[in-house]
Amino acid sequence: MLIAVAILTILGLTLGGILGVASRFLAVKGNPLEEELKAILPGSQCGQCGYVGCGPAAAALAKGEAPITLCPPGGKAVIEKLAQKLGVTADLSGHEEKEPEYAYIFEDKCIGCTRCIRECSVDAIMGANKLMHTVITEPCHGCEKCVSVCPTEAIVMVPIPVTINTWHWSKPETKMEIAAG
Amino acid sequence: MGDKINIEVVYALPQEQMLFPVLVAQGCTLAEAINLSGVLKIHPEIDLPTSRFGIYGKLSRADAVLRDKDRIELYRPLIADPKEVRRQRAMEGKAMKKGGGET
Repeated sequence: MLIAVAILTILGLTLGGILGVASRFLAVKGNPLEEELKAILPGSQCGQCGYVGCGPAAAALAKGEAPITLCPPGGKAVIEKLAQKLGVTADLSGHEEKEPEYAYIFEDKCIGCTRCIRECSVDAIMGANKLMHTVITEPCHGCEKCVSVCPTEAIVMVPIPVTINTWHWSKPETKMEIAAG
Repeated sequence: MGDKINIEVVYALPQEQMLFPVLVAQGCTLAEAINLSGVLKIHPEIDLPTSRFGIYGKLSRADAVLRDKDRIELYRPLIADPKEVRRQRAMEGKAMKKGGGET
């Protein structure tokens, strides 16, 4: 009994020691730039850029595989921040600022299939199997993923109406004057 | 926070969605939370015994015990008959999309 305890203790300590040393010396350093870029991106994991989420998008940006104009919901503000961080100039001539939109479900077409609910990354759609689905407009960030999965084309994007609650004082126009390098 | 949990009760209409944040005691059931939230006062058309409700897209029973940060959703019935919608789309020659398309 004592021998067994001793053997297991020694085994545990040795293997633990090896793991400890390995984690110290073989650690894979995360790219700090990647983390910083990730912090700039909206973080809603909407997937409009073509990457799975903001993490992979940031990784691609850090490697220079993706253009800094990749993030539609981020708009001009995110492009400018990314440009500053990466020290590149952005070509904003072809950039059209997308109006903020939210999804709207035509109730006479909804068949309660829950596909849009599963697709929504911000839980902005409430509903259950064979029951009416409704978009909660406040969390909806207009990623249009639900539009593409709806089997009956019951979802459309509508611009957010400007009301006293949604109106924002627009920021002054800024010019992109960030030197390369 | 101790033995209190934060939950939300949601009732959504296409043009107006109502979220009622409620602080309830641990072990509170779904039905109790709905009554506490006051949603029935604002929307008297909700008939609790016949309506269906759930937590985050999953139908639940009235005596389900809530957990922290649950969102209780009061559902409304479908207007369209799913079979009828499918039939109509078939007649118009539109294929049903098999979800998750890239386009």
